[in-house]
Amino acid sequence: MSHRFFLRPQGYVPFIALVFFAFSPFLLQNPFYLNIFILTIFYAALGSAWNIIGGYGGQLSIGHAAFFGIGAYTSTLLYVQLGLSPWYGMFLGALLSTGVAAIVGYPSFRLRGPFFALSTIAFGEVLHLVALNWRSLTKGAEGISIQFKPAMSNMLFVNKLSYVYLILGFLFFILGVVLKIERSRFGYYLLALREDEDAARVIGVNTTRVKLLALMISAFFTSLGGTFYAQYYLLIDPYILFSIEFSFQLALVSIIGGVGTALGPIIGSLLLTPLGEFLRATLGGKHQGIHWIIYAAILLLVVRFIPQGIIEGMKKKYQYLLSLLPDFRFEKKDSSPKSDHEK
Amino acid sequence: MAMEAIIQVIIGGLLIGGVYALISLGITLIWGVVGIVNFAHGEFLMLGMYASYWLFHLMGIDPYLSILIVTPLFFLFGVLIQRAIFQPILDAPHLTHVFASFGLAILLQNLALFFWSPDVRSIKTTYSSLSLRAGDFMISFPRLVAFVAAVGIMLGIHYFLKNTYTGRAIRATSQDPSAALLMGINTKRIFLLAFGIASACVGIAGALLIPFYYVFPSVGAYFVLTAFVIVVLGGMGSMTGAFFGGLIIGVIEAMSGYFISIAFKEGIYYIIFWFILIYKPTGLFGRARLS
Repeated sequence: MSHRFFLRPQGYVPFIALVFFAFSPFLLQNPFYLNIFILTIFYAALGSAWNIIGGYGGQLSIGHAAFFGIGAYTSTLLYVQLGLSPWYGMFLGALLSTGVAAIVGYPSFRLRGPFFALSTIAFGEVLHLVALNWRSLTKGAEGISIQFKPAMSNMLFVNKLSYVYLILGFLFFILGVVLKIERSRFGYYLLALREDEDAARVIGVNTTRVKLLALMISAFFTSLGGTFYAQYYLLIDPYILFSIEFSFQLALVSIIGGVGTALGPIIGSLLLTPLGEFLRATLGGKHQGIHWIIYAAILLLVVRFIPQGIIEGMKKKYQYLLSLLPDFRFEKKDSSPKSDHEK
Repeated sequence: MAMEAIIQVIIGGLLIGGVYALISLGITLIWGVVGIVNFAHGEFLMLGMYASYWLFHLMGIDPYLSILIVTPLFFLFGVLIQRAIFQPILDAPHLTHVFASFGLAILLQNLALFFWSPDVRSIKTTYSSLSLRAGDFMISFPRLVAFVAAVGIMLGIHYFLKNTYTGRAIRATSQDPSAALLMGINTKRIFLLAFGIASACVGIAGALLIPFYYVFPSVGAYFVLTAFVIVVLGGMGSMTGAFFGGLIIGVIEAMSGYFISIAFKEGIYYIIFWFILIYKPTGLFGRARLS
C-alpha cells in the first residue's frame, strides 16, 4: 500500500469520508447537534472497545459498565480529592480496570455462551452495589460532581469542539488498535475462538490467554471512556455508570452495525445514537423509554433477518458504488486492453 | 440472639423462596428443553403482576381468582414468543439467542414504562396484611398462599413430566432433541409447549406476588437476577434444583437481610452465584449441559 492507494476508489472514498467526518463538527454550530455528534462518537468508540472481546472474541459481556464505572470513579476521585489531573487519572483508572478484568476474567472464562454473559451481569451488579453503598468513598446514590474549572490540565473545556476532537481522537485510536488486531495473529486466534472454541484449543490456541488479553484491552479502553464521560457530564452516579442498560447499549451498537467488524460499531452508533437522542428530545418527558422500545425492536429485527448486522447489507452496495467511481491511477489500469495483451 | 427471631426470619425466607422457585422453574424448563437462556423471564413476571393488578384495579377481580385468566393468557403469550422470536433463530449461535432474549426484555420493560409510567403500584386486598399466628410465630397470609400454591404447581408439573405421554416427550426432547425427533416426537411443538408452560408459571407467580408486593416496569430485573442465581445454584435444567435452590436462596436472602444489611443482601447472593458458576457450574442437581 503506497501513496498510490489513495488514487483508487477503495482508498480515496474512506479518506474523503474521514476528512468530512473530522471537519463536520465545524458545520454544526448548534450545541444540541454537537452534543449528539459527541455521543455518537462516544458510543461508537466504546462499542468498538466492547467489540474486541464481544464481537471478535464472541464472548458476550453485559458487564462492561463495570469497567466504564471504574474508569469514571477512579479519575474523578483522584481529581476531586487529590487534585490529580484526569489526564493521569484516566490511565490509572484504565490500569485498574485492566487488572480487575484479569482477576475477574480468569475464572469467568471457564464459562461459555450465555453462562459467561450471566457471570458478567453479576459482576456488573456487584460493582453497582458497591458504588451505591460505599458512601464514604463514592457518596452513594448522590453521585460525585466535578467543579467546572476549564483548563487543558483539568480536561475541562469551554468549547464543545474540544470535546469533539478529544473523543474523535479516542475513536480513531481504538479503531487503529482494532484494525491492528484484525490483521494480527492474535486477531486470528480470536476469530478461531469465536467460531469454535474446542477446535481452536485442539489446534493449539491458548484460548484462555487469548480471551483474557482481549478482555483486558477492551476493559482498558472502556475505562478511558468512563473518564471522558465524567469530564463531559461533570457528574457521575452509580445508576448510570454501572447500569445494565449502559452495558447493553455498548453491545447493541456493535450487534446492529455488525459484530466482529471494525466499522460495525461506528455504523451502529451512527444509526442508533442520533435516533435515540432525537426521540428523547422530542418525546422524552412524556413518553419515557420510547428510544429503548425502538432500539429493542430494531435489535429483534436485525437478529431475525440480518444476523450479520447492517454492515453486511451495505457491503455490496458500497462495492457497487466504488465500481462506479473513477480510478486515478491512469498508467496502471488493470482493465485496460493493453495489460490483457501483455498477459 | 433470640432463637424465635431467627426462626421467624427462616419462615419468611422459605415462603418467598417458594415463589422464587416457581419463577426459576420457567427459566430452567426453557433452558432444559429449548436450550435458550430467557433473559426476558423477569419481564414475563412483571407482565403477570401487571395483569393481575389491572384485573383487580379495573374489574375488581381478586388476584387469586385472576389466576384462572392469567394462566391461559400467559400460556398463549409464551407460545407466541417462542413461535415469533425464538423458533426462527434456534439454529443460530448462542450469542444470537442472548441478544434476542435480552432485546425482548428491554422491549417489554420499556413498553410497560411507556404505557403504565414508572409509578410503583400495589393493590389493597382484604387479606393483604392479614397474618396468621402459629404458636409464637406470625405467618403472613398472602405469602403462605403464594408458597402453598407455588409448591402445589411445581408438584403438579413434576407429576405431569413424569407420568404423562406429553411429559415424557418433553423430557425426551430435553435429553436429546435429535433423538426425540427420530422417535417421532414433534420437537417444535414440544418447544412451544415448554415455553408456554414456563410462561404460564411465571404469570401465576406474578398473580401470587401482587397481593403483597408492588409492581413497576423494572421489577422483573430484580426477580430475574434472583431467579438466575437459583437456577445456577440448583443446576441449569433441573426442576428439583430450581425447587431447593429457591428455598435456599429465599432463606439466605432473609438471613443476610436480617443479620447484615438489606443493602448487601443482593451482593451476597451475587457472590454466591459467581462462585457456583465458576467452581461448580453444574449446580447442586444439574446435568452438564453447559456448552
